[in-house]
Amino acid sequence: MTVAEIEQYLAPIRHEYPDPRSLIIPALKYAQGDAGWLPPEAMAAVAEATGFSQAYVESVATFYDRLYVDEVGRYCINVCVTLSCMLRGSDELFEHIADYLGLDGEGTTDDGMFTLARVQCIGACDRAPCLQVDSGVQLGPLEPADATCLIDDLRAEPAPARYDR
Amino acid sequence: MPELHSVYRHREFGDHLTTLADYERAGGYLGLKEALALSPDDVLYAFHRSGLRGRGGAGFPMGRKASFLPKDTGKPTYVVCNADESEPGTFKDREIIEHNPFQLIEGISIASFAVGCERAYIYIRGEYEHQARVLDAAIAEAREAGRLGPDALGPGRPLDITVYRGAGAYICGEETALLESLEGKRGQPRLKPPFPAVAGLYGCPTLINNVETLAALPPIMHRGPDWYAAMGNEKSPGTKLFSVSGHVLNPGNFEVVLGETTLRELIYDMAGGLRPGREVKAVWPGGSSVPVIGADSLDVALDYEALNGVGTFLGSGGCIVMDDSGCIVRASWRLAQFYRHESCGKCTPCREGTGWLANILGRMVHGEGRGDEDIRLLESLFGRISGRTLCPLADGAVMPVQSALELFRDEFVRVAHEGSPRPVPMTEAPVG
Repeated sequence: MTVAEIEQYLAPIRHEYPDPRSLIIPALKYAQGDAGWLPPEAMAAVAEATGFSQAYVESVATFYDRLYVDEVGRYCINVCVTLSCMLRGSDELFEHIADYLGLDGEGTTDDGMFTLARVQCIGACDRAPCLQVDSGVQLGPLEPADATCLIDDLRAEPAPARYDR
Repeated sequence: MPELHSVYRHREFGDHLTTLADYERAGGYLGLKEALALSPDDVLYAFHRSGLRGRGGAGFPMGRKASFLPKDTGKPTYVVCNADESEPGTFKDREIIEHNPFQLIEGISIASFAVGCERAYIYIRGEYEHQARVLDAAIAEAREAGRLGPDALGPGRPLDITVYRGAGAYICGEETALLESLEGKRGQPRLKPPFPAVAGLYGCPTLINNVETLAALPPIMHRGPDWYAAMGNEKSPGTKLFSVSGHVLNPGNFEVVLGETTLRELIYDMAGGLRPGREVKAVWPGGSSVPVIGADSLDVALDYEALNGVGTFLGSGGCIVMDDSGCIVRASWRLAQFYRHESCGKCTPCREGTGWLANILGRMVHGEGRGDEDIRLLESLFGRISGRTLCPLADGAVMPVQSALELFRDEFVRVAHEGSPRPVPMTEAPVG
């Protein structure tokens, strides 16, 4: 992700914000689309494109759960474990997915395909237990077998051109 | 009582009003038309007369909030729509955005006319990317049709709307944290005063309202504030959305007239009731940040005052139901984990206190509790967290735990001594 690419992305929306600081989070989200996370070079590019220091940009990025400052897999499987989902089996769903992926709880698979995470309420308690792949539509209610199919399907997909996290 | 669809207009029209043409055929934009025939002050007065209260959780009278914005400051005025819907158990705004986005856009237009705003922002949580795209498309269509743009609010009266995506932080639903985030900062709450009405976004006068509050405005302006004020009781007029989830057979959203439906009717008649042989054990009626209530409170009417009367709050309307198969300590632990994760870290009592709550409840659940000592420790924590922080997140973390301990003390004591095996979750697919 180059500075020029980020500047090109920001050009049509700059006028919407009287303070260019407001461009930092949109720029970070855009930059994250490239590798699926924010390596230091991406933060440096965002800093330059927005006119703020890299330290400041990193201080913003580290606040938000969905800005990834550490490398994650090709797909982030975000299983909601908050109360409504817990009551309908989210812990069992999470454990099933972890077993299927060969993970001991949260983490990234050795092949770099999946990062599994417990996340807080994603606003789809009517679909409990539910999960989100990256920032896709909230999926649910899911039986363990549904999750297995979903993972198999994702594994068969070609690598996405850009990541929506 | 039957549902009444005012904010959920789409439910009267095949469940989808996602094109401008469909929305206009369903009476869309008649509210804005009425508003534009009045002066901005008269529109503000109509908000006030309707009795509409903020639907995000705090329930502050919307008209009064809007009237706090100073005029003629020489600065721009902003309308910010809070679409950060992150309160556990709450998914009502998601349906407005997905199924009826133009009613929100019309509501923002009406509010913008009243307070003199030319650029409004919708702050939507990052997890709602799909929903943000629905809004993007609706806004583009409204712009194309001239409903937004240079003459949106009449000749020479511009309005445009920017959809701003959050990036995963519950705290950004708190209005000043939201503004910080929208300004490109870490989402940490501000000290109030000054309130956003005076010094909000970019230091300018700002009206911040929840999606549901703004989407209530078009019918209020179209049918008149008196129509709205006549629904429900005097202090809680109008309709309110409730999201029902947890151990109910038919989880979903329901729009009811405040005061005319009981919690029992919401759970049993609308949300399908419970599995055979099960009874309600605990309900968090207004999202997870409110005191939990027990089965003896099921006949409470759903309005602000009646819920206060049984020791809880209407909050966001995110009603989480747990039946008698659930463990109250495990549920409390899970909520404490939520608040620990979501505490922004600015205020020490919250940053440290939410961790203590989660740790103590966690060890109790896992059979590593310290018996009565842990109960005493929990009780000593509440007052050291609540009321000692900049924003209400800490109070929201304490209230469900403190109320649960008061209501289910015997179970807490037992779990503190013996632990709590994981119950079998409800796994039946929802009905309908």
